[in-house]
Amino acid sequence: MGQNASVPSLLLIEDDDAIRTALELSLTRQGHRVATAATGEDGLKLLREQRPDLIVLDVMLPGIDGFEVCRRIRRTDQLPIILLTARSDDIDVVVGLESGADDYVVKPVQGRVLDARIRAVLRRGERESSDSATFGSLVIDRSAMTVTKNGEDLQLTPTELRLLLELSRRPGQALSRQQLLRLVWEHDYLGDSRLVDACVQRLRAKVEDVPSSPTLIRTVRGVGYRLDSPQ
Amino acid sequence: MTKPQDKLRGWAAARKAILSGLRFTSLRLRLVVVFGLVALTAAVSASGIAYWLNREAVLTRTQDAVLRDFQQEMQNRAGVLPTHPSQDELQHTAGQMAASSQRFSVLLVAEDESGRTVVGNSGALDPFSLADVPESLRTAVGKEQSITSNNKYPYHLYWQRIIDGDKPYLVAGTKVIGGGPAGYMLKSLEPEEKDLNSLAWSLGIATGLALIGSALLAQAAATTVLKPVHRLGIAARRLGEGKLDTRLRVSGTDELADLARTFNHTAEALETRVADMSARDEASRRFVADMSHELRTPLTAITAVTEILEEELDAETGSVDPMIEPAVRLVVSETRRLNSLVENLMEVTRFDAGTARLVLDNVDIADQITACIDARAWLDAVELDAERGIMSLLDPRRLDVILANLIGNALKHGGSPVRVSVRASDEDADGGGDLLIEVQDHGPGIPEDVLPHVFDRFYKASASRPRSEGSGLGLSIALENAHIHGGEITAANSPKGGAVFTLRLPRDPSALTETPAEPDGANGNGEGA
Repeated sequence: MGQNASVPSLLLIEDDDAIRTALELSLTRQGHRVATAATGEDGLKLLREQRPDLIVLDVMLPGIDGFEVCRRIRRTDQLPIILLTARSDDIDVVVGLESGADDYVVKPVQGRVLDARIRAVLRRGERESSDSATFGSLVIDRSAMTVTKNGEDLQLTPTELRLLLELSRRPGQALSRQQLLRLVWEHDYLGDSRLVDACVQRLRAKVEDVPSSPTLIRTVRGVGYRLDSPQ
Repeated sequence: MTKPQDKLRGWAAARKAILSGLRFTSLRLRLVVVFGLVALTAAVSASGIAYWLNREAVLTRTQDAVLRDFQQEMQNRAGVLPTHPSQDELQHTAGQMAASSQRFSVLLVAEDESGRTVVGNSGALDPFSLADVPESLRTAVGKEQSITSNNKYPYHLYWQRIIDGDKPYLVAGTKVIGGGPAGYMLKSLEPEEKDLNSLAWSLGIATGLALIGSALLAQAAATTVLKPVHRLGIAARRLGEGKLDTRLRVSGTDELADLARTFNHTAEALETRVADMSARDEASRRFVADMSHELRTPLTAITAVTEILEEELDAETGSVDPMIEPAVRLVVSETRRLNSLVENLMEVTRFDAGTARLVLDNVDIADQITACIDARAWLDAVELDAERGIMSLLDPRRLDVILANLIGNALKHGGSPVRVSVRASDEDADGGGDLLIEVQDHGPGIPEDVLPHVFDRFYKASASRPRSEGSGLGLSIALENAHIHGGEITAANSPKGGAVFTLRLPRDPSALTETPAEPDGANGNGEGA
C-alpha cells in the first residue's frame, strides 16, 4: 500500500479547478496526502505511478467518465473508490455502485463528511482478530485478511472483505441493511441501502458458485442478508 | 352508506345509456319512417292509377265485344222471328244465340198472339229469368223513342253491370225494331274480375317490396351518416381523455368528410398547442434544474473552503482577525443556507421532472424518528410518543426529510414542546395498513386563511417576516416526499391550540416502485426455506 502507513495517500480525480483546489486544501488539512488529476486518463496514469490508498473520483469527467475509470481500476485493482457525484440522481448512484465504487458522496460535499467516509473505507482494510472460518469451499482467514475459494485466493476489495467478515461473524443470523451500513460503511441512520445491495451483488459474483442462485449469502426478505454454510 | 348512492348513480347511467341509444336510433328511425312514407305514397299512387286504367281497359274491351256479338245475334236470329213467336221458338232462338263465341246467357221476351208474355231463355243449367234483369234496364229497353235526325232508331241497346251473389255480371238488353221480341243477355265478368284481382295482388306485392326496399335503403343511408357520427363521437371522447394524437380517417368529399377534416385540424392545432406549452414548461423546468445543478459546482468548492474558515474560527489560537471575524461567520452561515436552498431546489426539480425514486428499506419507525431528532439536537424540545418495533417499508432518507421539515417547522413557528406521536392503523394480515405520524406544536396555530397554502412553494405565513430562515420549500418538499410514498400530509389546528401536521404513509409502498428493493428478488422466493 502507501509508502507511509500513518498518513494515507489519496488520489483526487476532479475536472473542476475550484473544486479540486478546495477539496485538496480541505483534505490536506484533515491530514491526508493528496495527489490530484483533472482527467480520467491522467488519474489512471497517476494511479499506476503512485499507488495511493484510496481514490476520490468525480463522476462527470471530460473524456472517459468516472464510471468508466472505476470499471478500469476494478479490472486490476481492489483499492477503495469513493464517487463524487454532482447529481444525486438515483441512476448515477446505481451505475456508480455497479461499476464497483465502495461509497459515494453528493456534491456539494462537506470536507468533514468526505473525511469521515475516507477514514471509514480505509479502516475496512485493517486487520483484527486472528482466527479463520470455513463456509463450504470458502475459507476466510481473518489474520491474513484473505479469502480463498477451493484453495484459490479471491481478490476482494476492502469493503467486500469487511462485509463478508461482518456476515461471517454472525453466521446464520440475518443482518438488516441498516445494521450492515453501520457496521461496514460506518454510515449514520440515513445510509443508502443500495450500497449494501450493490456490494452483496459484487461479493456474490466472487464467492458464489452460481451468483444468480446464491447458497452462501442469502437474502432474507424484508430484513436483509445472512451468511449460511451450504449443507 | 354509499350503497344507495351507487345504485342511484347506476340507474342514472343506465337511463343515460338508454336515452343515448334512443337518440342514436331515433335518427335511424326518422329516416326509415320518411323513406317508407315516400315509397308508400309513390307505390300506392302508381299502382292505384295502373289498376284503375287496366280495369277500365279490360272491362271496356270485354263489354264491347260481348255487346257487339249480342247485337249481331239479335239482328240475325231474333230479328227473323215472327212478331208473335211461340215459347218454343223463343227458347230455340235464345239457345242458338247463346251458342255464339262469347259465352253469355240469353233471354228473349215477346208477346204471343193471345197477348201473353212468352219468355225463352238459353240453357236450363243457368236459368236466366226476367227477375235477374234490373227494372230500370227493362224500362229503358221497352221504351220507344221518337225518331229524330240524331236518333235513327226507336229502340236502343242498354247495358248495366250488376253484382249478383258476389259475382259481377254484365246485363244488356234491346228490342228488335218493328215489334220484335225484347232480348236480354247476361255475361259473367268473373274471369275479368279474377284477372283484375291478380293484378291488384301483384301491385300490392310490388308496393310491399318497395316499402321493404325503402326501409333497407333508409337503414343504409342512416348507417352511412351515423357511422361517421359515431366515430366522431368516439374520437372526440378520446381527445377529451388527453389522447391528442387521435385522428379521423377522411374519406369522400361530403359534409361528413368535411366535418372529419375540421375535427382533424382542430385536434392537430390542439396537439401543437399543448406540445408547445408543455415544451415551454419543460424548458423552464430544465432551466431551473440546470441552474441549480450549475450552482452546485462553485458551491462545492466554496463549501469545502468555508469549512477551513470555520475551523479557523473555532480554533482557540485566535488566528482570525477579530475585525473580520463577523464577516467570516456570515460567509460560513450564508454558505450553509445557500447549500440547503440549492439542495431543496434540486429536490423540487427532481420531483417536477418525475425522476425522484424511492429507495425502500425496512426500518424501525421509532429508531428513525429518534435518530432524526438526535441528529439535529432537538431532543430537548421534542416529546416522542412512539413504541419501538413498528417496522415499515419506506425510504429512510425521504422520511427524514419529511420529519425534519415538519418538526423544524413546528419548532420555528409553533414553539416547543413539539409532540411527535406514531400510530399504526388497521394492520391487516399481509402487512398493509397505514402509518400515522402526528407532529403537534404548542404555538398559536395556523390562521384559517393560511391553512390551504402551507404546502405552497415559497409561501410565507406572514408578510411581515419576509426573510424567514427556511427556504420556503420545506413543507412542499415534505408533501412531495409523502406523495411519492403514496402517502399524504394534512395540516390542521388542534382544538387545544397549536398546529397539527398529520403524515400518513402506507406501510408497504413497494407496489409503487417498479424495481423491487431486493437485488435478487426474482430468485429469492425459494431461499431460506
